[in-house]
Amino acid sequence: MASTIVLPGEPLGPSATNIPGPGSHIHAGHLFSSLAGPLAKSSTSKSTPNPTLTVARPSGILIPETGTTVLGRITRTNPRLANLSILALGPSGEHTCRDSFPAIIRQQDIRATEIDKVKVAESFRVGDVVRATVISLGDERSYFCSTAKNELGVVMAVSEGGNQMVPVSWREFLDERTGARELRKVAKPV
Amino acid sequence: MQADRRRLNAPAGGTAPPVFASANTSPPRRRRKADEHRKIFLQTGIVPSAAGSAYYELPPDPATPPLTRKSSLKITCTVHGPRPLPRNAAFSPNLLLTTHVKYAPFATKTRRGYVRDSSERDLGLHLETALRGVVIGERWPKSAADVVITVLEGEDDGPAGAHSGDMGSGWGMLSVLAGCITVASAAIVDAGIDCVDLVSGGVAALVHDQSSEITTVLDPAPAEHVTRAACLVAYLQSRDEITEMWMKGDAGGDLGGLIESAVQSATLARTVLVEAVKDSTEARVAAMSPPELPSTDAASKGRPKDVVTTG
Repeated sequence: MASTIVLPGEPLGPSATNIPGPGSHIHAGHLFSSLAGPLAKSSTSKSTPNPTLTVARPSGILIPETGTTVLGRITRTNPRLANLSILALGPSGEHTCRDSFPAIIRQQDIRATEIDKVKVAESFRVGDVVRATVISLGDERSYFCSTAKNELGVVMAVSEGGNQMVPVSWREFLDERTGARELRKVAKPV
Repeated sequence: MQADRRRLNAPAGGTAPPVFASANTSPPRRRRKADEHRKIFLQTGIVPSAAGSAYYELPPDPATPPLTRKSSLKITCTVHGPRPLPRNAAFSPNLLLTTHVKYAPFATKTRRGYVRDSSERDLGLHLETALRGVVIGERWPKSAADVVITVLEGEDDGPAGAHSGDMGSGWGMLSVLAGCITVASAAIVDAGIDCVDLVSGGVAALVHDQSSEITTVLDPAPAEHVTRAACLVAYLQSRDEITEMWMKGDAGGDLGGLIESAVQSATLARTVLVEAVKDSTEARVAAMSPPELPSTDAASKGRPKDVVTTG
């Protein structure tokens, strides 16, 4: 890989002929890098004559943004929402967070269909590990997350008896030891 | 010094072992040229548990005889964050940057307390202004970052062997702050926080030389000079901007010249900063790319399987 490493403040080219991507900024009509990392130039075509310049962060994504898929644990529930603490970023938790980010999943964001019939208690229990996507930066405390997609929802859950459960349908987990079934918003295994 | 009742306190005042130097020991002299910076050692990524970290050292000149060898400067910096705002903090659309500068208790000839004193808080404030102009805060909504600096060995204020009761006239603080700015810049870039440029600190001073003439020197070691005025800047070279300036003493009419010299000193420190950051980034990118190949391989294997399950 012969990608060039750029440092913060390094000029990347005039802003008239380049499009700033993540990791760059414009100052005095020029594009500058704002991170230390490898520089990537998108390919140009007739419709997009100017390349987009992106500087990748070697440490990867650091905080949740709108659209990020996250993994987290349910910390408490009430009839209107479930509290989540985001522990890792990325669909399979590629980037573990050093500190957990507080988030909430509102009742209307739990599933995509029949949203007025959803009950939080039949979707999440405290301790469940949930895959969700960030829909907004939220209020001053919490990010807002959603599980309204097939591949989002509970990925790991423990039964009332304390045993690890396996998903058996889109809304049920099975405790194989006792045979008990519990209701959850189950994430489709990928 | 404020006594800390929860810990076993070392005696206040100096605890350096007695050095029986002969009476004719001359104070250390500057051996490098007036426009020459001391050698800098800088390395990033030294604390694995922090998001970003760096270590800065001005090693003592090995050419000086051991008895007159002055202490060197040793600074570590760790950056924690970006992380979620603390519970009690109000909403902030920008990155909340906080800086802490602390001398280790053994850093100077006079012992320092465990609690930050006013000069340490002062250094922290100066460092914060220097960094605030560099970090692009609006890219980190609802998050905070802490810059924690520990001075392991501080620069002495007076000539070696002089047992001044107070902390001296404070000329050494400028070199310490210049080091703090440079090392914090390296650690922030190591943490992956967006910056408009690398910021480096530089000091220049007006000193009396042997013939009592006043000359300008870059990177003064306080033990080697009789200082008249000193100036520190935090300088962004690619934008030609100064984010922080601190001047002490009586510079007379030549303020501009002194600032110019401090900028020149910061430019010299930047060359080391650029090398250190570039080295560590190259190492990280090189360490990242080999595992990338198997993972893309696995992804390409996983995709056809996915099609089978959905179809």
